[in-house]
Amino acid sequence: MTECPECAASVESHDKVLGEVFPCPDCGTELEVQAVDPFAVQPAPREAEDWGE
Amino acid sequence: MNVAVVGGSGYVGGELLRLLLGHPDVTVGQVTSESMAGKPVARAHPNLRKASRLVFAPPAELQPTDVTFLATPHGEAMGQVPGLLASGGTVIDLSADHRLRRASEYPRYYHREHPHPELLAEAVYGLPELHREELRRARLIAVPGCIATATILALAPLARTRGTSPLRAVVDAKSGSSASGRDAGPAGQHAERSGVMRAYAPAGHRHTAEIEQETRVPTALSCHGVEAVRGVLATVHALGPDPPEEKELWRIYRAAYGEEPFVRLVHDADGVHREPEPKILAGTNFCDVGFAADPERERTVLLGALDNLGKGAAGAAVQCLNVRYGLPETAGLGFLGLHPI
Repeated sequence: MTECPECAASVESHDKVLGEVFPCPDCGTELEVQAVDPFAVQPAPREAEDWGE
Repeated sequence: MNVAVVGGSGYVGGELLRLLLGHPDVTVGQVTSESMAGKPVARAHPNLRKASRLVFAPPAELQPTDVTFLATPHGEAMGQVPGLLASGGTVIDLSADHRLRRASEYPRYYHREHPHPELLAEAVYGLPELHREELRRARLIAVPGCIATATILALAPLARTRGTSPLRAVVDAKSGSSASGRDAGPAGQHAERSGVMRAYAPAGHRHTAEIEQETRVPTALSCHGVEAVRGVLATVHALGPDPPEEKELWRIYRAAYGEEPFVRLVHDADGVHREPEPKILAGTNFCDVGFAADPERERTVLLGALDNLGKGAAGAAVQCLNVRYGLPETAGLGFLGLHPI
């Protein structure tokens, strides 16, 4: 288990694999698995919105 | 449990009947209406066809029962409650008549003296998220106003964390036309209401008193009517030094509402519905609460959305009934809403 870097929600590792991208159950941020043991995640890179440009 | 609905022909009364008729532990034995006495309930509320054979009775024929819901206009419940309490039942008042603890606030906000100020000390404000334990013992429950509920549920968790640190709130609230009631007058005519974005109370709205009473935050409230039948969205600008960052806001609100059955935190990183919006809450008892940090401006934006007839009135009343009688808090309130709608 680890913590979402955006909202501090508890995030379970379950059977997730290195590089897997999944949404935080609370804030919906796409998280990428950085390590499985110990379990670590970071926000996944996102395409920037360019509305209005 | 046998219940009665007084003032059952209005929009709140209709929503209350819809919920109570579907409640597994409740029998609706009586429903009264002055204007529709003798007429079947479905004449006023066509969605209840075949759900009930109840006929509106004149208010004078009301008999004592286990629980009496008062869905009457503001000012009428004040005179009825002492007699109902004397008969031994529980009273759940959906009007504003017992929401304010200080009698001196009634002339200021409702332009009348309260004839029974002693009951204001006994009445419990019907917001389980703030008063659950008091509600378990209450004889008289005062269901909050719809805009007040959306604002209080959005603001209260942050206000509690501030201690003596100064905080004030500016609230911009939007509401649908059913919040004005069935007899809204000329302002509710289609020609006046269609397409509307109207500041109907830029200052001095009555719910200000409830919000300040329950949050203890000085609040400036402005209310607008918008193109919707149901729904309230309160945008609360909480202003004060050292506001929390987003992650701290998540911690504060998760601690306040993580176990609450009818408050959902909505502040999503992606998708169409990232923040609370009332449209998808029609017919439900949910209040969706969201937030956004704006520390550079010493501001926290808080959002509360609900159905004014649901969590803003009838749904809250049923939730209070469930708490009061030790029933499952979600009994009769399981509707999840519609999407798309």
